[in-house]
Amino acid sequence: MNSRPARPAARSGGRQGGTQGEPDTLALFDDLEVPPAPVAPRPEGRARRPAARSDEPGLSPESAISVATLTLATRDIIEGAVEPLWVRGEVVGLKEHRSGHWYFTLKDENAQIRCVMWASDARRALAAPDEGMTIIALGKLTVFPARGELQLRVLRIDSSGDGLWRKAFEKLRKKLEAEGLFAAERKRPIPMLPACVAVVTSADGAALHDIVSVVSRRCPITQVVVAHAQVQGEDAPKSLVKALHRVARWGKADVVILGRGGGSREDLWAFNDERVVRAAAGMPVPVISAVGHEVDVTLCDLAADLRAATPSAAAEAAVPRLSDLVRHVRRLGADLRDAAMAQVESARERLADVGVAVARAASHPIERRRLALEGIAGRLHALSPLATLARGYAVITDGEGAPVTSVTAVKPGDAIVARLRDGSIHARTERTESSGEEVNE
Amino acid sequence: MSFEKKVQRLEEIVRALESKDMSLEKGLKLFEEGIACLRDASTELSKAEAAVQVLRERTDGILEATDLRA
Repeated sequence: MNSRPARPAARSGGRQGGTQGEPDTLALFDDLEVPPAPVAPRPEGRARRPAARSDEPGLSPESAISVATLTLATRDIIEGAVEPLWVRGEVVGLKEHRSGHWYFTLKDENAQIRCVMWASDARRALAAPDEGMTIIALGKLTVFPARGELQLRVLRIDSSGDGLWRKAFEKLRKKLEAEGLFAAERKRPIPMLPACVAVVTSADGAALHDIVSVVSRRCPITQVVVAHAQVQGEDAPKSLVKALHRVARWGKADVVILGRGGGSREDLWAFNDERVVRAAAGMPVPVISAVGHEVDVTLCDLAADLRAATPSAAAEAAVPRLSDLVRHVRRLGADLRDAAMAQVESARERLADVGVAVARAASHPIERRRLALEGIAGRLHALSPLATLARGYAVITDGEGAPVTSVTAVKPGDAIVARLRDGSIHARTERTESSGEEVNE
Repeated sequence: MSFEKKVQRLEEIVRALESKDMSLEKGLKLFEEGIACLRDASTELSKAEAAVQVLRERTDGILEATDLRA
């Protein structure tokens, strides 16, 4: 055995890998007699022992064992003796067999080992490692009897290592980005005052506690509804998707907070799961993501309408400070009254001229004319809420009830109605007199 | 109409009344509408405090929000 394999050897190993079958399925071993496991390797000299032990397998030419027996025995010894180990190495010659199994070599400067990852294990990996990528793999040491080679059966590839994680993340990010899932124009504004905020997270996590306390402090009238989901572990993606669908189907939430408290990169992986990202992007109401991690952006963050750094920040973005809103609405009320008052003032000026004519038409005696003028100029029509604001004029309408706001609107002889605080005066126009000012309508 | 829409409408009305002279009839209508928006918005802001609820799916598939502490 060459203790320092040259590069070409490693590459050729990769090619061979593709042809390799699953050892357990090889009929070759089915009928083998396996010696008991603790058969310690013996010094060579002891193999040629006197005839007394010649009946034991392999201890005499007569009891010579087959190569298969030897390799299988070796396999059993190695498997029995070595616990699964985490191994760091560079991936060379990875073949993804159509059966789903992966074959590759892990190597460093001075050594290499053939690796296999069965489809059932490979499926759980985030992505296949790239050529030359350094990975950390959990593997069980074994022997591949058909080649008499040491082999590492890889059970898991650590996804917290930057390379693989980044690869899987980028691959999905690119795909979803191409679909427009993260597009800025898809982002919806958060409602000013949501009556109901749905929180998709673990019902017993710290995130929920933080969100509830912020909402009840800032805006206690907003309802918080929790849709519980598992936020980490293998079932987390399914659970998160179900919770999101529950909220969508319920239909009473105005905004959704999706998230969890901080965690390791692996803990947050569910928020990079394609199903979860799609469910978040497909929500009928705006989604605020709150996956507490300073460094890593999750794909849910990108798909959400708004990203918050922490659950508390998400709650602050979801609801306004109630006292601010109360102040705003009060101010609008005051502005409304002021503006109405100003309108009335300007209308009053415009109407004053008409009022003079009406007053004349309505009453000849000086005293009544004065009273009418006071009535018109001093009080507003009692039916309108403006009355309290605009003490000082009457509303003149024509025979059809349309307001008369200019002397040009009536001709001598036209019927007009002056509505006052306490009733109306029906009159006929005697003559009109323009003040010479342009009246804006 | 949502709270937001009411407030937006109220803002529009105030702007319209502030910006230009209009017929008294129109001004009156706007003012009345503004007062209604104001009343509705204020009512919404004075709602009672809400309890935290949990959204569950019953075995018959119906979604139900119940108080967390219940």
